[in-house]
Amino acid sequence: MKSGLPIAALFQVSLPNAARPAVVTVGILYFAVIVGISIWAARRTRTANDFFVAGKGIGLIALTVASVSVSVSGFAFIGGPGFIYAVGLGAMYIVLPAAVTNVMGAWVLAKRMRLLGEARSLITIPDAIGARYRSRAAQGLSAIAIMVGIVGYMATNALAMGVVINAIFDVGLGWGIWIGMGVTLAYSASGGILAGIYNDVFQGTLMAAASVLVFLFVLRFGGGLGDISRTILAHDPALLGPWGKITPLAALSFFFIFSMGSLGQPQAVHKYYMLRDPLQLKWYPLLKTVGLILVLLLYFGVGVGVKAFVLDGRLAPLTSPDQATPALLLNVTPIVLAALVFSGVAAATMSAANSFINIGAAIVTHDLPIAFGRRVANELRWGRAVTVLIAIAAAVTAQRSGAMVAFLGIFGWGLFASTLVPALAVGLNWQGATRSGAMASIATGLVVTLALETAAYFKAFTFPAGVTASAVAMVASFLVFFVVSWLTRGHAPAQLDPDVRLVMEL
Amino acid sequence: MTSKPEVNEGTIKSDLTRRLALQALFISVLAIAVGYATAFRRAGTPIWAAWLLAIGIPVALGAIMILGAARGRGGIGRLKLPFLFVVATLAIGFGAALALPATEGPLSKLWLGLPARAAIVIYGVGLLPIIVLPIAYAVTFESQTLSAEDVERVRAVAAERAGRHSGERSDDIDVESDR
Repeated sequence: MKSGLPIAALFQVSLPNAARPAVVTVGILYFAVIVGISIWAARRTRTANDFFVAGKGIGLIALTVASVSVSVSGFAFIGGPGFIYAVGLGAMYIVLPAAVTNVMGAWVLAKRMRLLGEARSLITIPDAIGARYRSRAAQGLSAIAIMVGIVGYMATNALAMGVVINAIFDVGLGWGIWIGMGVTLAYSASGGILAGIYNDVFQGTLMAAASVLVFLFVLRFGGGLGDISRTILAHDPALLGPWGKITPLAALSFFFIFSMGSLGQPQAVHKYYMLRDPLQLKWYPLLKTVGLILVLLLYFGVGVGVKAFVLDGRLAPLTSPDQATPALLLNVTPIVLAALVFSGVAAATMSAANSFINIGAAIVTHDLPIAFGRRVANELRWGRAVTVLIAIAAAVTAQRSGAMVAFLGIFGWGLFASTLVPALAVGLNWQGATRSGAMASIATGLVVTLALETAAYFKAFTFPAGVTASAVAMVASFLVFFVVSWLTRGHAPAQLDPDVRLVMEL
Repeated sequence: MTSKPEVNEGTIKSDLTRRLALQALFISVLAIAVGYATAFRRAGTPIWAAWLLAIGIPVALGAIMILGAARGRGGIGRLKLPFLFVVATLAIGFGAALALPATEGPLSKLWLGLPARAAIVIYGVGLLPIIVLPIAYAVTFESQTLSAEDVERVRAVAAERAGRHSGERSDDIDVESDR
């Protein structure tokens, strides 16, 4: 759910010699399956439509599992449990929104995006914004905002892949980055989003299996959730308070950003275009919510479990909270389960990277040229070329500057949320929204997020407890969207094409 | 196709539903903004700031869902109850977590393995909406979200539009696919 993976945690992972053969074997099997799926998909990718939206021919189950896969990053496996270990249940407010986000996305966006795709053959999120507001400029501006977010996500995921692959194969961080990006690039460039979707299906299944098995193992090892809670309550009861050790404002802020913000995440929203039959949307929210809950069981289970195991002396105190998952896997769980989770973390980072590479390539070859009044003659060929360039740029950035990568990884989610939610999610459901409102909102989200995150990162400014740049930017973007749309409301009717109006009224 | 959509009782009702949802969304986002703004006070964050978020967030989420679900024939129809249930569940869950005294300790009674306030948040806020919302979405899908007839209408409009634009150079607004 969050962009970054706590890199430091996996830097410290050193597999015991006895564990390495099993972990390496599972890792090799994992990569073999990825290669197999990619070859299959590459043979079926013949047009830009196949490359960017899988020919709009993905079935319900495949799309659901793929969507779960891209919605969860390595953070759910490493950083999240560590966060619970450190602050208790306050960390749950990042994942609790999963109870409402999928069905909210279905009501607010899925139908309209899918029908817009049907009416206009759209393939990107900026396409939808351009069509909604009859505006190349709005399409271009949203494309730029998404591209800025992708830079952050890609560099972080490239580094995370390198770290995970190094942890599995012991090849060194540099080689880890290039191997990880190389494999992701191979299937992204050859099979496009089609390869990505079916690899996501495999990766999402792997993540869910790893998560459920680890959760059940933790419950069994800890004597059930009741015994785990009793241990924590005996030593540090504040951890099991409703806000954990963070303030109510901070916890509720997480809930706000990760619930409302989910409507602006292009890697998930983009998937709505790909469903073969729009009527299959009926079961999409239920299936995706169940899938997401399964994948997130590890987040909760490992977080509270490891805390209890450390408190009752069954695990040594951790050097850092982010060591929670690696410490459990390498000291407590069967090694095959550890291998499965390490592959699951690799899966999460590769799945996210593939999705962002594809969206970035579409922006460069499709949205930006349209914004300047041009069309690229062969979007498939150029899409593949740009895919290669984005992957190489991400790998080079990840290798060169750890501090910069950490900074870039911070703001991805919040940037997408603040720039896209009002213009896209509200705009597709409110005929009174205007082009000026949308553009002012996107610009506000972009500028406020970048300015505040930069100031906070370089310690030029400290936020009060519970307030984050993402939250301030999203609220500001919403208010600007409403106010500017209201001020320019006279233009709204002229900015709606009849077919777009029909899609908005259905 | 340049004619305006029919204005009938259903459209008016939907417009009213959407207008109320928009107003609720705006007011709740404003409340959240005020909550954040108070955190910048030198005297510290007042306790009511968290209450603004605890009420503002469920209302904002409910409002945007209503905005998405409202449609011509009857606003949100049978979805009133599920939406009300979810907004109330979130607001009561957050409110209970804020209002109930902190009594967590070694002897706390556990509810499904968690102390009371934590159980309200994890099971109430985190799980109850899952039981209601996706089921409500599926059950009302044909009447409230999308029917085969709706899809056909869109396809017909798309075909008509494609016919009109065939042979034309696509401009900045009517971005037709050339694939």
